[in-house]
Formats: sequence, structure tokens, C-alpha cells
Amino acid sequence: MNTLTPSQSKKPPFRKLRGYSFDPALSLKIDTAPISTIVYKVRWEDIGDHEGCLKPGPVGEYVEVIDYDPTVKKFYTPVNLNDPYILAQDGLDPSESNPQFHQQMVYAVAMTTIQNFERALGRKVLWAPQRLAQVTGKRTPYEEYIAKLRIYPHALRDANAYYSPQKKSLLFGYFSSAPADETIQMPASLVFTCLSHDIIAHETTHAILDGMHRHYNEPTNPDVLAFHEAFSDIVALFQHFTFPEVLLSQIRKTRGDLTSENLLGQLAQQFGSAIGSYGSLRDALGEIDEETKKWKPKVPKASEYRTVMEPHARGSILVAAVFEAFTNIYKDRVSDLMRIASNGTGILAQGELPPDLVNRLASEAAKAADHVLQMCIRALDYCPPVDITFGDYLRAIITADSDLVADDSHNYRLVFIDAFRRRGIYPKGIKTLSVESLQFVAEPVLGPDAQNALNVIGEFLRGYRNEIMYEQDRKKIYEITKKHIASYTNMTKTGLHGQILEKLDNSFEFEQLTGLILDQDWKKLGVNPSGASSDDPSFQIQNLRLVSRVGPDGDQVNQIIFSLVQRSGVRMNDDGTFAGHYTPGVGEVPANGFEFRGGCTMIFDLEKAQLKYAITKPLLNTDKLAFQIREIDTGRVEQQYGYQNNDTMMGISDYSHYFGIGASDALNEPFAFLHSH
Amino acid sequence: MAKQKETPSKRITTAEVRMYRMGTGDCFIIKFFAGTDNTFTMMIDCGTWQNDKEHLTEFITDLKTYVNKTIDVLIVTHEHKDHVYGFEVCSDLFLNDFTVKNIWMGWTENDNPGSSGGPLGDQVNEWKKKFGQHKMALSIAAQQLTTIFSGEDQLKQAQSELNGVAALSIRQGFADVVNQFAELHLSATDNDDAINYAGGLKGMNIVKKNLAKNNITYFQPGQIIENIEHAEGIRFYVLGPPTSIDAIKTESGPEGETYSHSHNSEGADNDAFATAVLNLGVPQPPASLFPFDKNYELNTAGTAPTAIEAIYEKDAWRRIDHEWLNSAGSLALRMNSATNNLSLALAIEFVDSGRVMLFPGDAEYGSWDSWHKINWSVKGKDGTTPLTTAELLNRTVFYKVAHHLSHNGSAKKRGVELMNHPDLAAMATLDYGKISKGWKNTMPNHDLIQALLTRTKGRLMIMQEEGLFVDQAARQTPLHDKIIETRGQMNSTDKADFISSYKENRLYLQFTVKA
Repeated sequence: MNTLTPSQSKKPPFRKLRGYSFDPALSLKIDTAPISTIVYKVRWEDIGDHEGCLKPGPVGEYVEVIDYDPTVKKFYTPVNLNDPYILAQDGLDPSESNPQFHQQMVYAVAMTTIQNFERALGRKVLWAPQRLAQVTGKRTPYEEYIAKLRIYPHALRDANAYYSPQKKSLLFGYFSSAPADETIQMPASLVFTCLSHDIIAHETTHAILDGMHRHYNEPTNPDVLAFHEAFSDIVALFQHFTFPEVLLSQIRKTRGDLTSENLLGQLAQQFGSAIGSYGSLRDALGEIDEETKKWKPKVPKASEYRTVMEPHARGSILVAAVFEAFTNIYKDRVSDLMRIASNGTGILAQGELPPDLVNRLASEAAKAADHVLQMCIRALDYCPPVDITFGDYLRAIITADSDLVADDSHNYRLVFIDAFRRRGIYPKGIKTLSVESLQFVAEPVLGPDAQNALNVIGEFLRGYRNEIMYEQDRKKIYEITKKHIASYTNMTKTGLHGQILEKLDNSFEFEQLTGLILDQDWKKLGVNPSGASSDDPSFQIQNLRLVSRVGPDGDQVNQIIFSLVQRSGVRMNDDGTFAGHYTPGVGEVPANGFEFRGGCTMIFDLEKAQLKYAITKPLLNTDKLAFQIREIDTGRVEQQYGYQNNDTMMGISDYSHYFGIGASDALNEPFAFLHSH
Repeated sequence: MAKQKETPSKRITTAEVRMYRMGTGDCFIIKFFAGTDNTFTMMIDCGTWQNDKEHLTEFITDLKTYVNKTIDVLIVTHEHKDHVYGFEVCSDLFLNDFTVKNIWMGWTENDNPGSSGGPLGDQVNEWKKKFGQHKMALSIAAQQLTTIFSGEDQLKQAQSELNGVAALSIRQGFADVVNQFAELHLSATDNDDAINYAGGLKGMNIVKKNLAKNNITYFQPGQIIENIEHAEGIRFYVLGPPTSIDAIKTESGPEGETYSHSHNSEGADNDAFATAVLNLGVPQPPASLFPFDKNYELNTAGTAPTAIEAIYEKDAWRRIDHEWLNSAGSLALRMNSATNNLSLALAIEFVDSGRVMLFPGDAEYGSWDSWHKINWSVKGKDGTTPLTTAELLNRTVFYKVAHHLSHNGSAKKRGVELMNHPDLAAMATLDYGKISKGWKNTMPNHDLIQALLTRTKGRLMIMQEEGLFVDQAARQTPLHDKIIETRGQMNSTDKADFISSYKENRLYLQFTVKA
């Protein structure tokens, strides 16, 4: 139905859509009812029939909402957000009983999340491509572009919602509630996970993160899955601060003290109470005391990072660290306001804060939250492509921020280090804990040969930049990038993959830098031959991307980033020590055998056409490499094997126990079982 | 008893506990002796995970001979296959030439509790009805999963996807485990008319309908059974099943309370899921099945598919027709825990010495926790303060390990850690040769084994040690070696005592407990 004809007037920048600020639970309580719904401003997607317009579903450029309920085998009529009546009233009324509103809600929140990422990353969000089955004897494409993330708002009848990396889809469930407190939640009423801002933002973030780092759903150490969860929570949490009405109300309620109990630091209220908890599902600041049923602030314990292994619980250590960094930054930013408002005593007068002060505090909180979220998202570009730990992430945050913001006048970086330190999160392999030592080594010194080779690659990358810089079409971005990665185009060695093999395959220094193997001995180390040439070892280039950002002082960052990932087949002895190699994909996987991955994120500075950072999780033992000995990093291999074969360490649920869903089963919906309640 | 002698005192002096080695599952005989006279005989459960009649007949025949074809009290702890299957396959052996004088069960097994509904009032009838429906739903969902994942379509689709076949085999494995859970609750043969679910496993029905002669007594926690004829000096304390639905649903406790902290939440229930499963293929389902008003449904009967349907149909790999059935997994776990917590849990006390034998069935944390809330009507050993459950655990000298050494079967702080009697011995009904696929991952629990080995000084008797390791994941030290090693460290008196009390052969393990 398209009765509106595109007119002469300018296209609107936003489509306004009403939705729940958190979830329907707030609309039932008198004190939170006024802030229970807000208007989401979603980037305008055009009216019309041509490609790229918003169709009923909603089906747009980034997402397609397909409201099929397999439990009753029914489709629900898709909402047409371009219907004039709907357009005229900022979308449908928030409602639990109207599935069309549910479709609107998931669309609005998913798009808001995507927009926040694009703003922080300075580039378009691309979904993880679909890997294709390889038919022997036929040269089939390795992967296929996925334009739209699919969203099923009513896919399950369970207290569960998850991102499926196989289906490139978000599946939301609904269930009947069994609340602990029946005065808040009606027992046996239906609860829809697709109506929770936090759950939608969390799942959408899983999908975006999977598009950036596809190996982050492989639990190679206790931090990996926890990181996926934590990061998704962080995004959902800090999005709360972009809702002005909510922020003002909570500043008013807490009298400007954001470390006291407030909605901004809590996730999934309705879900939490519907599954029988007394509060929200997760809380970055505090917890409900089991005895008194009263909220109390959480005190960081350094021991938790060593002992808590279940991914969500472990993830909340990271969330709490980031949230503490935020509250400290906020406190610092408002300290002058507080002094002015309290006549220098620091003690505010009793009663409600003056509205002007509330507005000023809210704007500082919004600013601080935005900075912290941007820091967290930007850091993703500085993370190793495999086997991430919280410590790596801290280093990435510090390095990314130092690159963009030369003058850290508010001490953001110190605040972050302090919050991590208080939780016992220390990166491995650094000697002191300071901003300088946490930064990755910039512009590693190399001999002339390696330097020359890298310069050639730097030049090549400039070519890529020129081609992609002004491209807005996501599919074209994907294709141009693919073309630049591929080894061969029409039988000429043009791509980055070919460049690296040609220019660097004798560079011992490059191996030292990346911890990956390109030269001799690779056949002995369980590495496959390359699909492009059987004389060379196989490795993958992932996520080639252009990063251009402008810092607050006008500092510019122009970088090209890509990741190298290499795998090796390793066999273990019964006692968990390294036994030897096998070649993956050739014959059966031997007993106690698994694929071990190493990887390196390469960051090139475009101004100097030079390698700036090589952030590595080495496949090879870098100590031995210094003596020209090529050997697998048995330390990492044994650590990973030990972790994946220890139930306590894995911190996995009974569910995984009984159904035998372990580390190696990333094939089977890694997030579904994690999220099951 | 036929051959009772007239002796001045018939107080019980020993109890002989015999565990039949039929496969993972419980079947116990406890013979009480006054001196050399066997005056009183109990039987607890008769089940095993899997086995045919031919195999089981040998055990049951031996059992009948051993008890002289007469049981004074039969206890059926709870309705799981591994506790009642024997009554089903060998029903003829039990129904002929065999006398059961009394049967004891937990209060929740009473199918006609009268108007009051037992300790929980009408709530329990409601709950039991729902529980029965969930069992049915689990069974239907399990069948569906098997049908779907073994179908041609799925295989074809899997072959076209990267790692598709491997992923499919994981799903088939999942379906197998769900099916085994379903089987644990519902006899396979009952599945045909699952819709007409009447209640229970065949084995349980045989006990209730055929074996019982109006002689079942149902017990509630807090009850004390004493002054039983021919069991002089013996007192039974009823610990569970709990009388709170929350306790029944609780599988694991807070951190430190069980041997591994699990993430499963007890709060959410599976009603919406069960309703959908029970209405699969029902031509005119009730309106309550649907989450939304009919008006919102896309009505395309007879017309060409709409744009949205076309998108859904286009890529088979992105469809979600069957994903929702995976919720059967969490349903299965919840059903399992709830049924385990319905176990009739008993502490059997030798009154004179205060020594206790603990038979908890398969009780999980919720039940263990509830035991401590019981106000006992008798005094403790000191004769002044009221008896506490903790004291009973302190005095425990024989422990039938709950739930086959799983992490959630034995409470930690409120259970095993209170069992500090120097004479403690334990028996566990675990056999890796005959066990459900899913269970192997949780049994035995490494920490629980360590704790029991230390506390019993090696008097840990396991149905079948073959295939078990101290740490099942590491597979380094066979558990057998460790047990022998620990027993080697006992002092000479303990060692001699143990050797004279313990008997082992192909059919059973036997241990004599002193009064």
C-alpha cells in the first residue's frame, strides 16, 4: 500500500517509531509509567517499490522481520510502516497484544543499535557472510554475501532469545511467566522477549560482533564467550543513556548519583521477574540481597575473575568494570556542577534537584556514556581475531583511544585501567600496568626487506582505500573488499592474499611479527596447503576494512585493518600434553585431535602507508622463533585443550552436560544454549 | 516370620544391605537381624536403565530366593525408569509366588488424596495434572525431534550446507538424549496413546494396581515410623518428598551448596511450550493456544504466497520450522529434577546406638534443603534438645548415594559435609555399561567422589567400577585403583571390619551395617 507519492519536499532524516524504553513491565508501575515508552528515531528508509525501500515486515536494507510462528504454524500480518496513518502517529501504539507492534519494536531497536555501531566505527555494518559447502572437484565460492539480518519475533516458546550464526537470524521466544513476586508480574501471563529493548539490543550486538569477529563464538578460553555476552550487555546498557526522558527521570530519582540503584544499569526487568527473580536479569551496579530482598551495590572482588566461569556471570565482571569506568568518568565530569550546586560543600540540599541542574547532569551523563560506548566499540578494531581475553580487550581500549585522542584530559584511560585492576583483570605479558605499557607496540621496527614488502602492501591498501572510500552500497563494499582480498582475479595475482604470499613468504621477520607460518616447515606443523597454490600454506584474510575517524581535537585516524587467521591440526596425549600434528580436512580427526587457531590483526597507517600494529595470538612459539625454530605454541595449545576438557573450567550448565553440548559444538547454535533459562 | 525363636530380646543387631547389580538404577534389599534371626526384610525400588527380561530374571530370581519370597515393606521411591523398570519387565515374577506385606510411598504418589489433596491442598492435584501433561508433551516432542532429524529432507538440506552433516548429527544426538529422558518418565509402549495419559510408568502402575493389596501407606516429611512388629529398635524418619512445590522444582542450590553450580533456572516454566506441543496436529485447537487474536493472522488460504511468505520459503537454510522443539531439552531437565525431588527419602535409625542409614532415593538439592526445615517431634541423642536433621546426617553410617553420584544428587553443605561419622560407608548405583547417554556427562561427579572417598575412608561401593575414573574428563587414574589405594590406608581394625562386612559377587554387592 503506497498511497503517498514521493513529493518535492526533502526526505526526512528519521522515521519516528514509538516503542518501549525498556519493556512492558515499566508501564504497569506508576512511577515508571511516564518513561515506559519513548520515540525511537530510526534512520529514514524510503517509501517506494524500488530496491532499498522499506517494505512491509518491516523489510529494509539491514534487517528483515519475518513474523512466522512455527509453534502454531501461522504468519502474522506484517506491519507496513509506510501506511499514512501509521506514519502520522509515529508508528503503532505500544501494545503486548498486537504482533504488528512487536514487529515495529524489533525493527526500531535493531536499527538503533546498528546506527550506534556505524557512528562509532565510521563504516557500514556488514553481517557475517554465509559460508558455503565445498563440493569436491568444483571451484565453488567460499562464502556468500548476506544483505539482511533476519529477525523472527515469535520463533520459540521458551524463556530464550538468541542469535543463530548458522541462520544469520535472531530468534525471539515467548513464555508464560512464573514470577517470584506476583504483585509485579501476573503469573502465567505471556512474556515476549521481542518487546525488551535490552534483549533485542543484546542479540543484535551478537550478530554485529559475529560479522566483525567470526571466531569469537569459539570458546578457546574462559573469556571468549563471556566477552560476547559482556559486549552485548554493554551496548544494551549504554543505549539507555540515549533516551533523554529516561535519563532525566533517573537523574532526578537518584539525585545525580548514578551508582545508586537505577534503571539505567539494569537489564531485562520483565524477563528477570518473569523467570522468578526478584529483580532484573542482570544489573551492572548491584544485586538483590538473597536474605533481605533489597538491592545492594556489588563490591568488586579480584577473586571472581579467577573463579567465575559461566559465560554470563563472567561477562558481568567485564560489564561491571566498564560501567564503573563510566560512573567515575561521570562523577569527574559533574564534580564542578555538584560543587556549584552545593555551595562548595559537596552535600546537596535535601529534596528534589532543581530542573536546570538535572538537565545539566543528564547532558554530562549522556556525553560520558556516549564516550564510553564509543571507546568500547572502537576497541573491537584493535582486538586479535581469535582467542580474545578481557586483558586483550583492555589493551585494545587503551590503544584505540590513544590513537584517536592524544590529550586524555579527563583521564578516561586511567579510569578504565583502574576499574579493570580492581577486578583482577590483568593482560598477560606486560611488565607494568600503565597507559604506556598497555598500548600495543606501535610501528614495529623491521629490517629493510620486510619493511619494503610491507610498504608495497601499504601502497596496495591505499588503492583499496581509494576504491572504497565513497562507496555507500553495502553489497558493493563487500564485493570490492572480497576482490582485494582474493589471491587471484582472472588468474593474475592481485589481491592482498596473493601479495602477502608473494612478498612475504620468505620473510622470517613477518613470521616473528605475526606468529603465523608462511615459509618452510608448514607441512610438518599441521597446516593445510593453500587453496590458491599447493606450495604455500593456507591462511585466511578476514575483515579487511577502512577505518577513518576524527577525534575530539580534530585528530584524524585513517587506517586499513585486516586479520590473518591460520589453523593447525594438533593431537594431544591422554594426559593433556601436546603429542603432534595432523592435517585438518584430510581423513578422520584423530583421537584427542582438534583445530588450533592463531591469528593476527594488522593495522596499517594510511598516512604513512606503514604497518602500525600487529596484534597477535601466535600459532607459533615466538620465543623459539627467535632462534629460527618453527614450533607450535604448545603453551597455548595445552591451555586451550585443558580448558575445553574441564567441565568446571567451562562453567557450562547442566543442559550442556546432559545433552553433550561442548566446546567443539559451535556448529549447533552456541548462543541458544547459553541463553536458555 | 516362620522360623522365629523365642529369645528374650529381639532387638535388631545388624542390617544386611544388598545392592543388585542390574545396571544403573536402584534395587536394594535390607535384611534386619536380631542376632542371627532375620526378623524383618525391606526392598527399595527395582529398576535399571536398560536391560531385557532375560537378563533381569536372573537377578529377580536370586532376590526371591534371598528374601524367601516375602517382603515386609516395599518402598518405591519415585517414578523413574531406573527405579521401577524391574516391576514392568519381570511383572510375572513379582505377581506370582511373592508376598509384599506393606508398600510405602511418598505422599505425592497418592492418586486419590481425598478432598484435601494432602499437605498442599488442591494445589497439588492441579500441579500433578500439569506435571502429567508435561510428561506427555515431553514424549511427543521427543518423537517429533527424532522424526524430523532422521528425515530425508533434513539430510538433503544438511548436505548442502557447510558442516551441515556434522551439525545434523549433533542434533540427532540431542534428540536421542531427549528421547531417553522421555523414556525415563513414560514407558515407550505408552506413547501410542500418550494423549490418554493415565499416569505413569508401567512398572509403577503394576506396583500400585497389581502388587498392592490395599496396603500402600503414603508418607509426609516429619513423620516418624516406629514400633513396627519384628523391627524392634528401628525408627524410620521421613525426610522427603518436600511439601512445597518450590522445593520440588529446585534442582541445585546456591554456590557451594551442591557439587557443581548449575545455571539452570527453576523459575521459568514450560507451560506455553507444552500447550503448543500437545496441540500439534489437533484439528480444532483451543483459543488459549494462540498468543494473539485471530485477526492478526495472515490469511492466505487459496491465494498466492505474499511477499513475506515468499521470503521465508526461499532459503531453506534460514527457516525455523523446528528450532522451537529444542525447548524439549529444558523441559526434560525440569521434569527430571522435579521427579527426583519426589523421592521418598528415609533415615533409618538404630535407636539404641543412634546410628543411621540414609536412603534418599534420588533427591536433589530442593529436597535436601527442605529436610532441614522439618521440626522433629522427638528429642535428639542428648535427650534435651529437639532432634535436627543435621544430627541425623551426623550420625549416618550408611549412605545410599542419591542419583548415581551426579553433581546435583547430593547436597554439599547441607548433606555430605554433615556426614562426619567415622564409620560412614556409601553405596552408589552407577554402571557405565548400562546408562543413559546424557548421564555419562554428569556422573560420576569428580568432587563428590573425592569427598565420599575421604569421608568413607574408601568404603565407597560402586555397582560397577569399570569405565570409571577419578576424574572422568582427564581419564587418568581408574577409580578402582584409587578406591583400593584409599582402602589400603585404613587402620587394621577398620580394615578387618570392612573385609568381614563386605561381600561382592557377579549379581550383587553386600554390606553389613552394625546396629
